[in-house]
Amino acid sequence: MAAITLENVSRHFGSVAAVDNVNLNVDAGEFVTLLGPSGCGKTTTLRMVAGLEQNTGGRIAIDNQVVSDANASFFIPPERRMLGMVFQSYAIWPHMTVFDNVAYPLRIRRKSTQEIAEKVKTALRLVEMENYADRPAPALSGGQQQRVAIARALVFEPRVLLLDEPLSNLDARLRTQTGDEFRALQKRLGITSLYVTHDQGEAMALSDRIVVMHSGHILQIGSPEEIYRRPANRGVAGFFGSPNFLPSKVQACAPQADGSFLLTLDGPGWVGPCGCSSALAVGTDVLVMVRPENMRIADKASIGAGEMSWTGPIVQSIFRGTHRSIVAETPAGRLNIDVPSVHNPAVGESITLAADSKAVWATPTN
Amino acid sequence: MTDNTAGTLRGSKLADKPLAGPNSLAFRLSRYFTGRDAAVLTLVLILGFLAVYPLAMLFYGSLHSTPPGMAGEFNLDGYRSIFTASNMVVLLNTVGISLAKTIPALLMAVLLAWIVARTDTPYRDKLEVLITLPFFVPPILTAMAWGMLGNPQVGLLNQVWKWATGSQTSIINVYSYGGVVWHMIQYSTPFLFLFIVDIFRAMDPSLEESSRMCGASRWRTFRNITLMLMLPALTNSFILSFIRGIESFESPLFFGTPAKITVITTEIYNSINHRATPDYQYATALSFAIMALMFILVIWQWRLLRGRTFSTVTGKGYAPNVMKLGKWKWVTFGFCILFFFVTVVLPIGQLAIGSFFRFFGFYSRDMLTLEHYSAVLGNAEVWRAFSNTMLLGLLGATATMVLGSVVAYVSIRTRWRGRRLIDALAWLPWMMPGMVLGIGFLWAFAMLPGPIPIYGTIWALLLAYMALGTPVSVRVMTSAYAQLSYDLEECSRVHGASFFQTLWRILIALAWPSFAVGWVLAFFGIMRELSASILLYSVGSEVLSVVLLRLWSNGQAEQVSVIGLFMMLLVIVFRWAQLRFIKNRISTL
Ligand SMILES: Nc1ncnc2c1ncn2[C@@H]1O[C@H](COP(=O)(O)OP(=O)(O)OP(=O)(O)O)[C@@H](O)[C@H]1O
Ligand SMILES: [Mg+2]
Repeated sequence: MAAITLENVSRHFGSVAAVDNVNLNVDAGEFVTLLGPSGCGKTTTLRMVAGLEQNTGGRIAIDNQVVSDANASFFIPPERRMLGMVFQSYAIWPHMTVFDNVAYPLRIRRKSTQEIAEKVKTALRLVEMENYADRPAPALSGGQQQRVAIARALVFEPRVLLLDEPLSNLDARLRTQTGDEFRALQKRLGITSLYVTHDQGEAMALSDRIVVMHSGHILQIGSPEEIYRRPANRGVAGFFGSPNFLPSKVQACAPQADGSFLLTLDGPGWVGPCGCSSALAVGTDVLVMVRPENMRIADKASIGAGEMSWTGPIVQSIFRGTHRSIVAETPAGRLNIDVPSVHNPAVGESITLAADSKAVWATPTN
Repeated sequence: MTDNTAGTLRGSKLADKPLAGPNSLAFRLSRYFTGRDAAVLTLVLILGFLAVYPLAMLFYGSLHSTPPGMAGEFNLDGYRSIFTASNMVVLLNTVGISLAKTIPALLMAVLLAWIVARTDTPYRDKLEVLITLPFFVPPILTAMAWGMLGNPQVGLLNQVWKWATGSQTSIINVYSYGGVVWHMIQYSTPFLFLFIVDIFRAMDPSLEESSRMCGASRWRTFRNITLMLMLPALTNSFILSFIRGIESFESPLFFGTPAKITVITTEIYNSINHRATPDYQYATALSFAIMALMFILVIWQWRLLRGRTFSTVTGKGYAPNVMKLGKWKWVTFGFCILFFFVTVVLPIGQLAIGSFFRFFGFYSRDMLTLEHYSAVLGNAEVWRAFSNTMLLGLLGATATMVLGSVVAYVSIRTRWRGRRLIDALAWLPWMMPGMVLGIGFLWAFAMLPGPIPIYGTIWALLLAYMALGTPVSVRVMTSAYAQLSYDLEECSRVHGASFFQTLWRILIALAWPSFAVGWVLAFFGIMRELSASILLYSVGSEVLSVVLLRLWSNGQAEQVSVIGLFMMLLVIVFRWAQLRFIKNRISTL
């Protein structure tokens, strides 16, 4: 059952299309992340689901019940959509205590004092904030405020939870920890979540599925691994890390058991096998994505049949702590490769780089 | 203007901020300028003369049995004579009238600010300019205009009413409690509006949106979240406005005195000007008493607000929530226009009409005349007052702003010894109504040693205007400096600019819009000032407001209208120039 459905949803600001014909289904209990560069329309999409922004085109349904239909001029205001939302600034009301903040949705619904006390306590325990109930809200750290915001969003057992960059105000260490905790909580409660971030790492680690957006469009929807390993196009591939793109031509194409295709490619000075999502005619130009972290320095002799390889001198070597970034000048162009930082090949030394066919992916040029 | 501006003035919160690093301009300044204690001392002396000295003389005078400058003895007669039953009524009048005007003014200001900041009412930016305009019109002008509009016998409004309904009785009499309150509301509303509109604007919209997401309707969100978040700021502006109500002079003078309604300021004025022998000791003791009242109010305000201002502004840039009103937006538009019409167009229109008829109240074609214009233009006294006002305005505004800039700089961007004292001294006149300061200066000038003949010259007025204007100028410049980061100063230094180049390039260049805003404010303040001027002027040093009042008391309402129109023109030109050339909106004050 689809918990959230977007059908051809658009939002125009004047002549600017902030969101353009977006289609998306989020299943019940699923954790879906909207990911994309700044200004691509993530927040606008989320706010349209929330009802804080009205869609200028298309339909939105929650639990198979239409909440907004631009053509029928039908619109349910946010307070009647029963959604929990966590804002980037947390939006904890400074004139209330932690308890009052969390109790607010229940008071609005006129629950009994006793029920309120119980539910607030449960919600605060969920985020490990039960000891802070009587604190005035301004006397909380960013991380604590964020927890209170989650408790407030969960306390009335909403159908869906919406989160707009909830972690972006936290420092790096706390961000990872809080993110993991939230993911565990989400799984435990099985609550459908739509999450916005521009941090790829966060998206990878938390999501069941990722929606990659760019200037109002959806580029690709898929599991984190799919998006990382098998990007639909250069835009998606380039969004995670900084992969190498090698131009080449298709020499042969064979279908695989999992529905993908294995190409044999012919590039300038190299040949090799590579995966691809669609069947391509012999002679088609393709762009091969090879991630620096998926290459290794190898002996020429040890290279297997399922691998691609390139040879050339090192022109740059940078120590980055966790790894070493090396640039090699090969016939296929300059290649970036990350190696463990204990390796220290000298600049000028000629090396051979190898990549497994599972770790490379071809996309049509353009 | 944010909710803590008053706090800035009061206790100088900004002074507690991390101060200049060792490379900052202030630090360099201290090395270049070895006599910095001398500088502080000079400032203390100037501010002391402007604020502490008149206050001390006020106390001295309240114990002194004869008028300033005459030999007498010390006694408590002054204080004894103010505790009378009739003064109890005066006190109740003062407080009652101020409350009666502050409450409706606050409601109206919230409504107008909400319309301008949070709805899609058409032409909101223009409406904002119109709504705030009354604040800049000298109250004496509108008081006179309303005196003509709402005159129970021949007032224009009553004439229109009688003509429209055929009734024989007037419906409006401005010479009443209602008249006093009504005239004050016209000033308090834009004053409060200036405070409130920015709070509406600056509030993080997600604070309200999260309430909607929690299931609260729009209206409930407004009550539970928006208003509650604004409560400290509203309380603060309420008290400020209440204090101004107590200090108000024009409204009770024009509409209260004819109806035998007396408040503290008019009681002080009457006891000096309208008695056979001016009773200075009584007036001075009363002034000291009103200072005590102010002091209590300020302490109350301070205690009420301590630790209760919420920061509802987060770093992220955003547009405030704007409510779509549909057809209703024309109703809100109409409401704003109506406010502008009643508070500006009506009184100014009355002045215009009044200036062209031989006698005010008799508006028929054969009464049309230009004789009042020629009378005014040929009146040497008016010209002298005009040039005095301009001179005082230019000099006073400049001096006030220079002083304010220096005080603000020292108190928030240096860690010099004595900076807190300077800040406190500069703020002191804030508590003094113009009337009280005027009396304080009367004594102060009389007690100066012989060879310093300030009293009776326009310099006496200049000093009083500087004292009255300094708290505002310090506030304007404090917020200007607070927005400039130290990095800018330091960056300029690092890139090789010398100390004075830095001062010029960075501070002056970046702070000048605020300086200009403050300058115009100070100029307006001087142009409208009546209560201190009326005590401190003498023949030859009259200012326009004093001449206006004198003409009005002589029954020359028509000439008053002519002068009023000219002053209005000046107000509009200045206000236009300010909005046009100084991008900073006036509410940065
Ligand atoms: N109220 C508005 N009026 C006009 N344009 C808007 C408005 N809100 C958003 N936009 C535009 O719509 C586009 C999408 O904005 P949105 O806030 O959804 O981006 P985002 O993906 O959330 O970016 P970020 O990561 O920076 O938060 C942007 O180009 C933005 O300028
Ligand atoms: Mg966003």
